[in-house]
Amino acid sequence: MSSLLILILIVAFFAWYLSYSATRLDRLHHRVETSWANLDSLLQRRAAIAIEIARSEISDPAASLLLTFAAHQAREASIKDRSQAESGLSGALGILLEGADEISGAHEKALVLELQELNSKIKMAIAIHVDAVNRTTMVRAKPIIRLFRLAGNAPEPVVYEFEDDVL
Amino acid sequence: MMPISKKRIGIVCPYGWDTPGGVQSHVGDLAQYLISAGHNVSVLAPALSDENLPDYVVSAGRPIAIPYNGAVARVLFGPIAFARVRQWISQGNFDVLHLHEPAIPSISLLACWAADGPMVGTFHAAAKRQKVSFAVVPFLEPVIEKLTARIAVSEAARETLKEHLETDAIVVPNGIYADRYRDGVLEPRWSGNTLGFIGRFQEPRKGLSILLDALPRVVSAFPDIQVFVAGPGNPDEALEVIEPNLRDRIHFLGRISEKEKANFLTSVGLYIAPNTGGESFGIILAEALASGASVIASDIPAFDSLLGHGKYGTTFTSEDSKDLSAKIVDLLSHPDERLKKAKLGKEYAQSFDWDVVAEKIFDVYEMAMAGGRKVTLASENRSWNKFLGRE
Repeated sequence: MSSLLILILIVAFFAWYLSYSATRLDRLHHRVETSWANLDSLLQRRAAIAIEIARSEISDPAASLLLTFAAHQAREASIKDRSQAESGLSGALGILLEGADEISGAHEKALVLELQELNSKIKMAIAIHVDAVNRTTMVRAKPIIRLFRLAGNAPEPVVYEFEDDVL
Repeated sequence: MMPISKKRIGIVCPYGWDTPGGVQSHVGDLAQYLISAGHNVSVLAPALSDENLPDYVVSAGRPIAIPYNGAVARVLFGPIAFARVRQWISQGNFDVLHLHEPAIPSISLLACWAADGPMVGTFHAAAKRQKVSFAVVPFLEPVIEKLTARIAVSEAARETLKEHLETDAIVVPNGIYADRYRDGVLEPRWSGNTLGFIGRFQEPRKGLSILLDALPRVVSAFPDIQVFVAGPGNPDEALEVIEPNLRDRIHFLGRISEKEKANFLTSVGLYIAPNTGGESFGIILAEALASGASVIASDIPAFDSLLGHGKYGTTFTSEDSKDLSAKIVDLLSHPDERLKKAKLGKEYAQSFDWDVVAEKIFDVYEMAMAGGRKVTLASENRSWNKFLGRE
């Protein structure tokens, strides 16, 4: 009799634990979505500024071509290729910003300033996103979650490898 | 100024509001800054009494004093506190929650457990790895990972977080009102070959005794040295342990005002911070640097990282009065070097100004809010509330 009771308790606890783990994982997936949405919008804004810089007087024709190309590529890349495309854009912008002190013209100065502010925000957004992805991958890898397929149909989060030092 | 998109911000302070402390004053200053920027801010904190609370603070109940991590912490937990926390969250309709020290057993942790949605956590403590943390991590992890973004107040705090909870954080320092300190006036009565100390000097971890032990060796090199101690406490008791022939060099000023503090830090020859531990950030050092003071501090992690590992101030081996006296004598003998370092430190300290720090914190809020949803009670807590008929 008592062994039946214990069995029921164990099953109940196990059911609770499964539901708890599923909620936990669901939250993490949500966190990844949020941090990606945030990073994505910041990167889109950066691409827009890059195109504007390409049209301004800061950049020579070669740089304009490179920037426009990199910006469009970054905008159109799929999530998986995104970080590589964005790194290309970072590189192009980095070369341009090296001589940022000598830039004249109010509009150009404002553009560069906006870009610099954006870059520091992007750094933060990357840190937040990378952490969310790491956490989620860690929890997804747990045996119990894999065994009971608690991740459901949620796609594996994509690691965003951004070259920090380029920024 | 911040872009005017008014947000409802809920901040949770884990420690008793009525007891002075670094976290409490950080939360207070931040709340006031955000309010003046046009946001709607509510702070939930334990408090001994509801009287004298600023109108943006909501009391969560009376704090309990428990020894935690080598100091007495005034924290709050338990079913009644948890009910208060849930009520505050469900009524607050917040856009973002900012939880301070969510890894401490107090209401920040409870709020993190109870809420769902955009949440930012700030970690203040920089502690060495303790055995007990192995045991508590499994409980903390699922709760802490609900935070959308994490802030550490120093590199040391970030390292602690990485080590204990295996999670990274963005470093945003604590804020000071730098302009108050930038414009400190040099007062002759405190300047010259003088050493300054600020703090509750009777607390052993503030380290006044280490400074006093170092004094005899300093006196033999600089016979005109004077020590000024500011802060609350009983000077007679403190003087008892000091050698009689040194007593007339030590001057107790008692509690000083903010304005006097700025002048004090600007005037003293060297500012000494011999704290032996328990410091999360070392806001006083940021203030001292902003005033242009030359600083000597113990090499505890928080101080070492704030002083840029010796770039903006000098460190000595913590609790080693011999090393302290050597550093004092060395700096007093090289005024040029000392002033150069202090000048560098003064420029650097501007980055602790609230205008810079609060903007950064708000940037993190914006990132947490990117999903566009509001803070709600977590589903498991919602059904619990329904069950108890609270909703």
